[in-house]
Amino acid sequence: MQSTSNSVSARRRFLQKLGLLGAASALSSYTLIEVSASTAQGASAVNRWGLLIDTAKCSAGCDACVTGCNEEHGIDATGRDDTRAQWIRKIDLQDNLTGRESSLPMMCQHCASAPCVDVCPTGASFKRDDGVVLVNKHTCIGCRYCVMACPYKARSFIHETISNQKSIAPRGKGTVESCTLCVHRIDANTGQQPACAEACSKDAHDAILFGDLNNPDSEISRSLKQHKAIEVRSDLGLNTGVRYTGL
Amino acid sequence: MTALSHQCLKPRGALYGLWIAALVIAAVAGLYCAYTMEHAGHHITGMTNRVVWGLPHVFAVSLIVAASGALNAASMASVFNVSIYKPYSRCSVALAISLLIGGVMVLVLDLGRPDRLIVAVTHFNFRSVFSWNVFLYTGFLLLCIVYLWFLCERRYQHQIKRIGLAALVWRIMLTTGTGCIFGFLVGRNSLDSALLAPMFIVLSLVTGTAALALCLLAIARSQQNPLPVATVRSLSTLMIWFVAALGYFAIVHHLTNLYVAEHAASERLVLGGSMAALFWIGFVTVGLAGPLLLLMKNLIADTDADYKTQKRRLQFASAAALIGGASLVYVIIIGSQVSAQRLFPGKTVLASSFGDVGNASYQPSLWEWGLGFGGVAVGLLIFQLLLRLFPFTADRQHS
Amino acid sequence: MNNYFRCFCAVLLLVFAGSLAAVDGPVIPHGKGDQCVADTDFMRRNHMDLIVHQRDETVIKGLRDEPFSLVECVACHAQTASDGVVLRVDAEGQFCQSCHAYAAVSIDCFSCHAAVPDSTDRTLGGNPAVGAPMAHSTVPLASQPPDLKLLAQLQFYVNALAENDHAKH
Repeated sequence: MQSTSNSVSARRRFLQKLGLLGAASALSSYTLIEVSASTAQGASAVNRWGLLIDTAKCSAGCDACVTGCNEEHGIDATGRDDTRAQWIRKIDLQDNLTGRESSLPMMCQHCASAPCVDVCPTGASFKRDDGVVLVNKHTCIGCRYCVMACPYKARSFIHETISNQKSIAPRGKGTVESCTLCVHRIDANTGQQPACAEACSKDAHDAILFGDLNNPDSEISRSLKQHKAIEVRSDLGLNTGVRYTGL
Repeated sequence: MTALSHQCLKPRGALYGLWIAALVIAAVAGLYCAYTMEHAGHHITGMTNRVVWGLPHVFAVSLIVAASGALNAASMASVFNVSIYKPYSRCSVALAISLLIGGVMVLVLDLGRPDRLIVAVTHFNFRSVFSWNVFLYTGFLLLCIVYLWFLCERRYQHQIKRIGLAALVWRIMLTTGTGCIFGFLVGRNSLDSALLAPMFIVLSLVTGTAALALCLLAIARSQQNPLPVATVRSLSTLMIWFVAALGYFAIVHHLTNLYVAEHAASERLVLGGSMAALFWIGFVTVGLAGPLLLLMKNLIADTDADYKTQKRRLQFASAAALIGGASLVYVIIIGSQVSAQRLFPGKTVLASSFGDVGNASYQPSLWEWGLGFGGVAVGLLIFQLLLRLFPFTADRQHS
Repeated sequence: MNNYFRCFCAVLLLVFAGSLAAVDGPVIPHGKGDQCVADTDFMRRNHMDLIVHQRDETVIKGLRDEPFSLVECVACHAQTASDGVVLRVDAEGQFCQSCHAYAAVSIDCFSCHAAVPDSTDRTLGGNPAVGAPMAHSTVPLASQPPDLKLLAQLQFYVNALAENDHAKH
């Protein structure tokens, strides 16, 4: 009898503690929200960031965007071009029928239905609410499945130890990375263009236009309405955030 | 039917000692290679940002696929009541476990951050085929362990058929999952086909049976208890069917790719480019034609024809099938990455600052070979250990 | 019996050695400014949870101007050697490493993250490159300390917060 009442009271104490714990966690998640809400707004589904690339303005010999990107993110040459990171690359094309030549930068296309996000086993490859596709390097295990899945060859695996990183671009051996659409600039919310677009404008090409695809009044949306822009590999139906005109 | 009695395998002799020593050395060397690769980074391997999955993946996939197929004998005995395979049930399940561990080890040690394995088993994205495979592999291991336990307990004899069926279904799922890792990659022309899933299943039947046949022959030798002629002939028949089916799937896969114009470039690479030698010699000649011819000869011969020759043919055919299977996996995995991804149909790439022109080259490094063979060695060591510790081999009384 | 005695002596010796080491403790260089974004005691116990929480906020939600960012940690706690070279916070004897070595906890942050402040946006007043001693300098903090009374009083909340983060994954 004694032992029964003992166990009942023990159970009661346990339940009391459980209740306390529940209340505490409810309270703490409330403060959590409050702390977060008190600062910036962060990525929101109201926006969808994207690029419009006018290949007519892009010239074949120029790689200002590539240099600009590399400088911004501290991507140094390693002497081994096959293994170093390639966030953005320049491609020169020729039409098989007409012989017309064009040139363009190719980078992460920030797909709405990104294959890299689908295949990532840990969810490290993810899409922010504002459409930017990123790698969360804290949970990336370096399996490189996303590199296999990307139709645009836009992802790079870091093959060597990296030092002298920029504080805005943490990068390290054994993980995968790609164009972030200069997400640190987007979050700073100062209206700054991504590094590639900035570098392109500096060279007076203005071939890369950055903006909000969700905002019908943004320059990029108006441009998209006027010109016939294409998605690269539109057959895959990925709904890319980077579009090209003049191809 | 008399009850089978089983025993632990306790081979002795210099040759056996040498064999174990070689395996241990290979395993340690493999671990050292993995350590070096992780420490220095993958740039010391042949892998690049164009070919990100290299030789370790070929080894890992081959081992995992063979693991699922190694269960064949057990499935035949438990599910389909083919009594000739009853004595080999336990061996077959033990081999499946061992090969799977070896394969998964290679896969994990080739990760960019193997130290974050804990992340892989705590964070899941259920849209990812890789995530499914984490469950498929661990589930397979658990099922196999329970299967072995039931096989060893007389009081669970009536349950064996059930667990055997579960394992059979599970291993088909597992190989489908492994095939889908590649089959769901829309961005790569030579993959992107649901055919890869059934093809991997058939591949598993071929390589699994071949691996088991080689192991059974080795065990028989060390026990001085030769495999019955009926078993050799039955294994030969099975292999013929499996190899023929693999050939069929390969033909259909390549015919489809040949027919679709946009896949032409990647097909040219496999049938006539840098992958051609491995495809035609490694897979078609050694992997398909060789085993078919050898085993056909076995079946045409009289039952009481020279036993030794029949055994030798099975041995060679199995080894050839394993090499052929690995060649096929190599052609599928490496070949899909070597060919350039075509982004602009109707246009030719004149220049690119990062490899859109022409095919990539891939030369596996010593580290990758070391890691791959290390995985094989670890698998085989585990198999030997299991056979030593548990009564998994049948006694000679069975004839 | 003899064996027991030996064991006892060994344990005694270990404890003694341990206590000797414990007396020394890690030598932790002083950061910039008067105080960290929260109480030292609080930060010592909870910095990892704060950083992990902040990391997910930043990477996933894009919230960057919050107080517990690693960049800010590095900005305040990286020391400048007498020859003007800025030292990595994970270098031997430096802020992160000295304590982590003492506690035998490995740091995984700086295989990817910059362990020194960016030379271009060193916004922390003065000119750190001239080699002025960092300790006890009165450089203002880069970001406003948040309303931390709540958090500093209740370590309890932080634990729940960390659990919350873990539960999410």
